[in-house]
Formats: sequence, C-alpha cells, structure tokens
Amino acid sequence: MASRSGVFSSSVGTKIVIGITGFALFLYLLIHIAGNLMVFFGPAFFNRYAYVLESNPLLPLVELGLLAVFLIHVYKTLRMFLSNQDARPKAYAVKRPAGNPSRKTFASSTMIVSGLWLLVFIVIHVKAFRYGTEYEWPAGGRDLYRQEMENLSNPLMVAFYILSMTVVGSHLFHGIASAVQSLGLNHPKWTPRVLLAGKIVAALIAVGFMIIAAWVYMNQPGTGRVHV
Amino acid sequence: MRLTLKIWRQAGPTVAGRLVEYIEDHVSPDMSFLEMLDVVNEGLIKKGEDAIAFDSDCREGICGMCSLVVNGVPHGPDRGTTVCQLHMRRFKDGDTITIEPWRAAAFPVVKDLVVDRGAFDRIIAAGGYVSFNCGGAPDGNAIPIPKDIADVAMDSAACIGCGACVAACKNASAHLFMSAKISQLALLPQGQPERYRRVTAMVAQADAEGFGSCSNEGECEAVCPKEIPISNIARMTREYVKAALTASK
Ligand code: FES
Repeated sequence: MASRSGVFSSSVGTKIVIGITGFALFLYLLIHIAGNLMVFFGPAFFNRYAYVLESNPLLPLVELGLLAVFLIHVYKTLRMFLSNQDARPKAYAVKRPAGNPSRKTFASSTMIVSGLWLLVFIVIHVKAFRYGTEYEWPAGGRDLYRQEMENLSNPLMVAFYILSMTVVGSHLFHGIASAVQSLGLNHPKWTPRVLLAGKIVAALIAVGFMIIAAWVYMNQPGTGRVHV
Repeated sequence: MRLTLKIWRQAGPTVAGRLVEYIEDHVSPDMSFLEMLDVVNEGLIKKGEDAIAFDSDCREGICGMCSLVVNGVPHGPDRGTTVCQLHMRRFKDGDTITIEPWRAAAFPVVKDLVVDRGAFDRIIAAGGYVSFNCGGAPDGNAIPIPKDIADVAMDSAACIGCGACVAACKNASAHLFMSAKISQLALLPQGQPERYRRVTAMVAQADAEGFGSCSNEGECEAVCPKEIPISNIARMTREYVKAALTASK
C-alpha cells in the first residue's frame, strides 16, 4: 500500500495535482479577466473596483495561496516533463500523430514550451503591475488605471502581451480539457461538451485579454489617440 | 509492388542499432505486412545474411505479439488493427516504409524489432488478477451483472497487451494498458476483493518500471488495435483516489 505522501508523487497522483492546480489557475484567470474588463468603464470605476478588492483583509492570504498553487503547478509539471523524457530515451526516427480520436494538437504538444513562456511572462507581468510605480488615487487606493495605461504604452510591450495571450490561449486549449480528464471526470454525454466548451473558453480568454491590451494602447491619455 | 524499406537493425540489447535500407521488388498487395517481412527475410537468408527479428504469433489480431511502428504509427495506418492484420494493399508501388520497434525505456530492445515487454507482465502480476477458490466451475449466471456494466467491462477486457499505447504515447506511459485491466476488474463483482489494492500496486509497479505519466493526448486510444478508450484512464484515476481515501493503513 502506497504511503499517503507517495500518493501525489505517483504518475497518477502527479496528474491529479497538476490537474487541480491547473484548474484553480484557470478559475483565477476567469476572475482576473472579469476584473480587467472594468477598465472599459474608465478610471473612476476601475480604481474603485481595485480599491474594494485590495482593502479586503483576506487578500494577502489569497495571494499567498495563489502563489503556492502556481509554484506547485510549475514544480510538478517540470518534474513530470523530465521523468517523461526519461521514459523514452531513444526517439523514433519517424513519428506521426495517430489521428482521430486522438486529442493531440499543436497546443497539447507544446505545453512545456507555452508553460515556460508563461512563467517568464508572469514574472514580467507581476513585476510591472504588482510591484510597479504606484500612483495615489484621490478617492482611495492606487491609480491602477494610470499604471495600466503606462505599462501598456510601449508598442513592443503591447506586442509581447498580445503574443503571450496567444500562448495563454494555446496552454488553456489543451489544459482545460486535460485537467478534466486528469481529475477522472468522464461522462459519455457530457465530457465531449465540456471539452469543446473548454476550448471555446480558452479562445475567449485569450482574445479578451488581447482586446484589453490593444484598447489600453489605443486609448492612451494625451497622445492624440482616440479616447472613448 | 516495389518498396523501399528502412528497418531498424540492432544485434542485441547493449549494442547500438541503425536503420538499414532494403529494396523489395516482389511485394503482392494481397500479402499481410508480416508476410512481406517474411519474404524479405527469405531473401536475406538466401544471401547468407541475418534475418530480421520481429515478434508475431497468431497473425490474426488476437495475441498482441506483433509490435511494429510503421511510418511513425504503432501497428501502422489502419484504425483498430494490429500490424499482422495490416495488408500491403494499404501501400502504393514505390513507397518508402520505415519500420521501428516500440520505443520505451521500460521496453528494451532484444534484437532488431523485438522488444522485451516483461514490464507488462510484472504490472499484471502486481495486481491485475482475481483470487477465488478452486473447485467445480461456478454457474456463469449465478452472479447477476447488468448488461451495460458487463459491456463496458468486456470492452476493457479486449486489451491484448501489445503495448502500442506505450509506443504511441509521447511519454511512453502505460496508463491505457493499466486502466483497461483495472477497469475490467473494478466493474465486475469478481474483482472487488482486491479492488483498491490492485490499482495502487499496479500504478506503483508501472512507475517503478520506468513508464511515463499521462498528458491526456489520447494517441494511445487512436493506435489501440482494440480501440480501448481513454475513459478507462479517467476511471483508473477515480479508482486511485478512492484507494487513497479508503486505505486501511
Ligand atoms: S501476431 Fe497476434 S496480434 Fe498480431
């Protein structure tokens, strides 16, 4: 009988941990994008929303939890990737995808690449927004609206963000469906629908974030660009 | 038909191998893939060369011995078909066909296209069995099993243990193989006594053998000659969680 600590390090347990943490990160992204959409309502609304969120005393705890989930996801996937490499030391001279009903896609074959990209992106992103220059907002809290405008005023930065959102979409395109399977959920009627929905949501999240970044760039205050 | 064959030749487990090219001029479209290799071997033997070693037994798709990766796909291009049931009419005159053995750390090459699949036997020995008392044959209908459950168990039991799932998986994972046996026995009353011990022991054995984990791509299902679905892998996960939660020690 495997010890309880060993349960999460077996090949099945690893999948479960990666699935749970991945799914939690996906749920976080849903909240994240919902919050970001507030930027369309202007600085007063956006900063007010941010202030309410940041004045919640539980926030540091939630942040720590999120960080832990993120780090576990990264650590477990890297460990799994490396041991999976060992499982096939000699590569095939010719290897082709087997086709239907396989779920193999470009996205599923590049999870480690998209994942590592996102790791770098998240470090840059969190540094710019969480630990960037702070401006006071008269009605309370930070002027996050101004911070976002400034962070996304450089076209190269905007391009990097938009590219990274494609990577997010790709990671989720396989990731959401994969988490469902990793958690052992399978229903003849519902699973195909859930998998399809996962792909649609992945695309929506990616496109949503891209629109936000592009909108912020095109609505820079005092640049003569359109301001709606 | 004239074919160019690139075949993996490796004299033994510890020596390096390589792809060797052979031209075969007289291939009939009616031959099976293995008969085609037999013809190649006859030619080699006539020339005094070492015949190509490959596994086969029943040659009718039921034993799971044949194990060739044909042009990058285990068991070749046909769905739900072992390579012994693949026929040369599936190829065109002038084609080049690359033939390799299953590739996995847990399936070391014995010679040429033959690999040692003893790891699968050890996984089965770890838990893929049921215990019952000897004696007279029990009445087949004494234990009622709902038809839908019996059907799913039967579909899982169709696994012939060929290892194509491992060969196709980018992680060389044995999850589909294990999950088929675990599902079959977990669904049936006869499998209940060892139910949770079984899943824990089989997963531990597969990990110890050096098979990889599962990325949910489902290449295994697509190459499986018995078309065993990855819903079995989801069931194995549920069994594994239940076993962890109900472990007595
Ligand atoms: S030789 Fe028996 S299944 Fe192919």
